[in-house]
Amino acid sequence: MIDFGQIDKVIHEKARLSIMTLLAGRGEWAFQDLKAELTMSDGNLITHLRTLGQAGYVKESRDESGTRPRTTYALTTKGRKAFQQYVDLLEAIVKAARPE
Amino acid sequence: MTQQQTALEHLQVIRSLMEKAHIYRAISAPAALVGGVLATALSGWTIWATAVSESTRLSPELFLGLWIALLVLCSVINVILLSREASRRDQPLVSNDMKLALRTLSPALGAGGIMGICFAFYWGNQTLAALSWIICYALALLSTHSFSPRSIKRLGRAFLLLGLTLFVVWSANPSARVYPYEEAIAAVCMGLTFGLLHILYAVAVMIRKPQPPTSFE
Repeated sequence: MIDFGQIDKVIHEKARLSIMTLLAGRGEWAFQDLKAELTMSDGNLITHLRTLGQAGYVKESRDESGTRPRTTYALTTKGRKAFQQYVDLLEAIVKAARPE
Repeated sequence: MTQQQTALEHLQVIRSLMEKAHIYRAISAPAALVGGVLATALSGWTIWATAVSESTRLSPELFLGLWIALLVLCSVINVILLSREASRRDQPLVSNDMKLALRTLSPALGAGGIMGICFAFYWGNQTLAALSWIICYALALLSTHSFSPRSIKRLGRAFLLLGLTLFVVWSANPSARVYPYEEAIAAVCMGLTFGLLHILYAVAVMIRKPQPPTSFE
């Protein structure tokens, strides 16, 4: 029996799930690239990134060496583990719903 | 919506975004640097050989042979470097990523290769051969846009822009088309693109070091 209460509420939101997925697929994403890929506004994206950062799932890096500062994001070890557990749980839910 | 439907929908979101986020660098930066330097050297040598005397000029067959030899050498170096990178990541060399890259690159590379060989060998026109290689190589690089890093896309765009510019300049200039030392024009085209652009690509990739991460917390 699957306990739906196990679902990670931080990741179980489409925008944050999309961010986590992109970060899990590729090591590091620049803020502008994430924004373009997900077609989200600056404010919306930063809010979700902050939520993920506060949960310890995402880390931020700033590169000031160029003409314009560049902020990039990547998953932490905790975030990668949480994402994997979330995907495993989704798969278990779908599997449980399928008739044998 | 039931939990199952939500789970299924979220898994579909993950799958579709994972495909978009996937990155594979088919051209290793050190291999591009070696290839770029060798291509520049070969171009310079061709121009020098043309300028020295009639007897040192490259025949279309020799021009073709030397550039094919350079391609083979650079491909071998690239495979060795990709193989090292794959073993560092505990992945096989012929991974699904590499198969996808080869499937994507091969139509444009194959077309360019055959056209170039025909232009150089049957038509005796090295400039057209060089231009077809440059433009088809650009199209091959751009065809990998869905899984390539930005540097490869930029390299593809630079190849296309420069290749088409050279083609327009050459086509619009009747004296260039009937220029007797045609291998020199072809060498300039090859040196500017396969030489210079590869060196710029390699340097840009190599100097971009990752920054140490800082946490939100």
